[in-house]
Amino acid sequence: MDRAFQRTRILTNHLLLSTPAQTACLTSNDCFNYSPPELSENYAFDVNEMRKLMDGHDVEERDRLFGLIIQSRLFNPRVRGGKVFVSPDYNQSMEQQREMTWKRIEYLLERGVFKGWMTGEGEDVEMKRFACFEVLGLFDHSISIKLGVHFFLWGGAIQFFGTKHHHDKWLRDTENYKVKGCFSMTELGHGSNVRGIETVTTYDSKTGEFVINTPCESAQKYWIGGAAKHATHTIVFSQLNINGNNEGVHALIAQIRDADGNVCPNIRIADCGHKIGLNGVDNGRIWFDNVRVPRENLLNSVADVSPDGKYLSSIKDPDQRFAAFLSPLTAGRVNIAVNAVYQSKVGLSIAIRYALTRRAFSLKPNEPEVLLLDYPSHQRRLLPLLAKIYAMSFGANYLKMLYVKRTPQSNKTIHVVSSSFKATITWSNMQILQECREACGGQGLKTENRVGHLKAEHDVQSTFEGDNNILMQQVSKALFAEYMAAQKRNKVFKGLGLEHMNKPCPVIPSQLTSTTLRCSQFQMDALCLRERELLNRFVADVSQYLAKGESKEQAFNMSYQVAEDLGKAFSDRAIFQTFVEAEATLASGSLKDVLGMVRSLYALNCLEDITYLRYGFLSVDNGVAVSREITKLCTELRPHALGLVSSFGIPDSFLSPIAFNWVDANSWSSVQH
Amino acid sequence: MASSVSSQQDKVLVEANSSARIITLNRPKQLNAQSFQMIYRLLELFLVYEEDPIVKLVILKGKGRAFSVGGDVAALVRDMRADDWRVGANFFSQVFKLIYLIATYSKPQVSILNGIVMGGGAGISVHGRFRVATENTTFAMPEVDLGLFPDVAASYFLSRLPGFFGEYVGLTGSRLDGAEMLACGLATHFVPSAKLPMLEAALCNADSSDPVIISSIIDQYSEKPSLKEQSVYNRLDVIDGCFSQRTVEEIISALEREDVHHMDSWISATIQKLKKSSPTSLKIFLRSIREGRLQGVGQCLVREYRMVSHVLKGELSKDFFEGCRAILLDKDKNPNWEPSKLEMIDEGRVECYFSKVKHEEWEDLKLPIRVKFELPPYVIAKL
Repeated sequence: MDRAFQRTRILTNHLLLSTPAQTACLTSNDCFNYSPPELSENYAFDVNEMRKLMDGHDVEERDRLFGLIIQSRLFNPRVRGGKVFVSPDYNQSMEQQREMTWKRIEYLLERGVFKGWMTGEGEDVEMKRFACFEVLGLFDHSISIKLGVHFFLWGGAIQFFGTKHHHDKWLRDTENYKVKGCFSMTELGHGSNVRGIETVTTYDSKTGEFVINTPCESAQKYWIGGAAKHATHTIVFSQLNINGNNEGVHALIAQIRDADGNVCPNIRIADCGHKIGLNGVDNGRIWFDNVRVPRENLLNSVADVSPDGKYLSSIKDPDQRFAAFLSPLTAGRVNIAVNAVYQSKVGLSIAIRYALTRRAFSLKPNEPEVLLLDYPSHQRRLLPLLAKIYAMSFGANYLKMLYVKRTPQSNKTIHVVSSSFKATITWSNMQILQECREACGGQGLKTENRVGHLKAEHDVQSTFEGDNNILMQQVSKALFAEYMAAQKRNKVFKGLGLEHMNKPCPVIPSQLTSTTLRCSQFQMDALCLRERELLNRFVADVSQYLAKGESKEQAFNMSYQVAEDLGKAFSDRAIFQTFVEAEATLASGSLKDVLGMVRSLYALNCLEDITYLRYGFLSVDNGVAVSREITKLCTELRPHALGLVSSFGIPDSFLSPIAFNWVDANSWSSVQH
Repeated sequence: MASSVSSQQDKVLVEANSSARIITLNRPKQLNAQSFQMIYRLLELFLVYEEDPIVKLVILKGKGRAFSVGGDVAALVRDMRADDWRVGANFFSQVFKLIYLIATYSKPQVSILNGIVMGGGAGISVHGRFRVATENTTFAMPEVDLGLFPDVAASYFLSRLPGFFGEYVGLTGSRLDGAEMLACGLATHFVPSAKLPMLEAALCNADSSDPVIISSIIDQYSEKPSLKEQSVYNRLDVIDGCFSQRTVEEIISALEREDVHHMDSWISATIQKLKKSSPTSLKIFLRSIREGRLQGVGQCLVREYRMVSHVLKGELSKDFFEGCRAILLDKDKNPNWEPSKLEMIDEGRVECYFSKVKHEEWEDLKLPIRVKFELPPYVIAKL
């Protein structure tokens, strides 16, 4: 075709803002030109405002940290399609990845990023620290875990279980990395069941020392992050045996390496080896061969041993004493939940941006191919997940606030909410990343495109700091306890958002209209209804087993199906509530309108859950109505898709080449450079 | 070679040379300071050339010893009465539209920076595809001296310089020579001024819009200049360590710590410079470049337009008027900044500069729609 004519035709089309006219001879130029979504899509709401709402806090601090990462060679910047992308080189050996993780930490340390993380106090410091973890987690899971072990687990144990002299001795050195800490809790034979660990500590009153011992192979410490290579000190969890009495699990500090990195006497350390992800973290195994540590190394806020070897504790109940030891894990769980939200944001940003630029198949011969996101099926795959992550973002922000505003009275709430959110959000993260990977087709399989690789990196989230299934069982047990307490004392439900149990049971209209389905009151009713009914059912099931003479433990085990469903119902409802609360803070306008649609999509997506049909909370007809409304909402949210992912505030450099000019990123000229 | 000069618009000269168009800023006595009229003319020319299929390349240069010292701020302040800040805002909106057009231009632009390049001068050149520095080039973004802040999407291009050099250049207004511009990436080529006529002729004969071809033509005349021994660019480690700090106050403290260790006149001069500049300007620029590092060029301009509108409106601070008085009008070089100290400006006050301006006729910057043209990949990457 004559070039001038072709050019005129293209110009005319552009001017008329129509799609390119049909052409019999397809040239490669016409088909595969990358068109940036920014030029064709509009933002109907203020993306900056939405980002502030999503991130919730410390936006400026986040941006500075993003900048510190982007501007340093250590973070492996690579140019693709004219843009810089940062991401670790996962093609490096395990040893190299660990080395790089450590160098990056040193760089951030020099730049003062960790200033105040251990020595500072207050809500602001803790929130800022969360924000930094979210940013670092967007770069790489390994760096955030390596830092998390050092600051939250090692440092947190000293803060929570230690007393003033521990704080004075260790916190500043921890903040400056004069010591590198790890956290030895899990053993080969015992993970979630911490109370069953087999490492033993005795006290030698002659020397005033504790003696730590690994009595058998199943007692070796396992998966200890930082232990294989870098850590100099560890918190050791063991059974404290005083004068032949087992006082239960206690924590103390032991040195495992000297300043030059040589392993200390009577300590044996081995590597956990290559893993499916997180290879930048040096997970190790530790054996203690009668390791002696000074008496002061016992973290004694909960219990102490006197110089002459007497066991002293302010908490008499061993159950409560043990529970007190698990509190640093709560901070860890909050971090994991929040981090999982951000991983899903990366996946969705990439998959949706790709779907706004990649075309496949024409509706009619010689017509231009259709954008992936213009297929209703593609919308249905990605947009409900987008709504879900909006909801979970609000949930995560609520969880962080709950944590930093903690009081002794709120411990139970924090435990229940963090457990359920951690499980729900990390499970959903894996589901979202898988869907995003598939939505990117073959491109999703390239490591440089991140989505696929993130699955392997974050798979561990459903296991560490409490196996998700076990956490959910704990949630159900806690709800059971609330129910029994209310019944026994004939009192109303208070706390954990269970106040709706005091009201009459909501009724779902027999025919759900579009208006009803989009009404937040209806949505809340439907979520409360499921929670209430499942809690009633769970209590009934457990009571039945108890009446048959089963033990309480066994009764819970037998009722696992309802327990699981109840945990999920609690979590969905609690997350929805945080969404409604966030929405209520907004003045009416385009932002609120869009969020309203997103909220409806999230709620209806919850209502599509199998439990609604399994237990008959929704009729089949209403189930169909819900499904139909979801499709409609997807169509309505399609024009906002770009704005909604842009509001995640993830800099381009932290996404991947397929999220931008993937044609240029894959061009021959890029091969030659 | 046929050439034509547009006489009625003598502040901006135009030569048509086969497929190349040479635009010359022609206000040498004012060091090619950009007036309202010149900005309109440039906008018009760039728009026409983009549509004209014959034009394949645009060359931009300045007459005299400057490429351009930027917007004619002195005239602007003279024209602007306190109640019509929107005249000024309108000027900036036109400048920013021109810059967006240049930054996203579908045809290559070669800017020949044979002299002084400051502020808006950088704005109309650095965003183009090729920037040729010479031994006569002096570059600076000195807006903080005037109580303004580096605008013209400086938060886009300065933030993308290596490490935290951009923070340094924008906060101190330091001058860079041609070699330094090339080293940090502000210039793409360095050509000795003696070779410029030959370079121009070669470019006019290129008859191509292919950046690879244009680049290889400029390469033929290019040299690799060496940095002066005392060049700040050799001090990137210190710059990175200090200018990556969280706040302006922390940057100054970090420099003071370095000063104790090194007793280096460059460091003390830098500290003095920072202490003399408008505290408000320093703070809003630092925030601006940090945001700009993570944004596309269009977003940068929209944000900077909000900021500049607040500066012109003068409700939050009148430093811009004071700076212009002290530097450009009265020339006593002794501005009285208000607030006068960094610690008097809290985050909330800084935040105000980034919000929409509350005025019924004010609206966010509307960027020219660029969907019409096939944009090259290097442009798409900036969006």
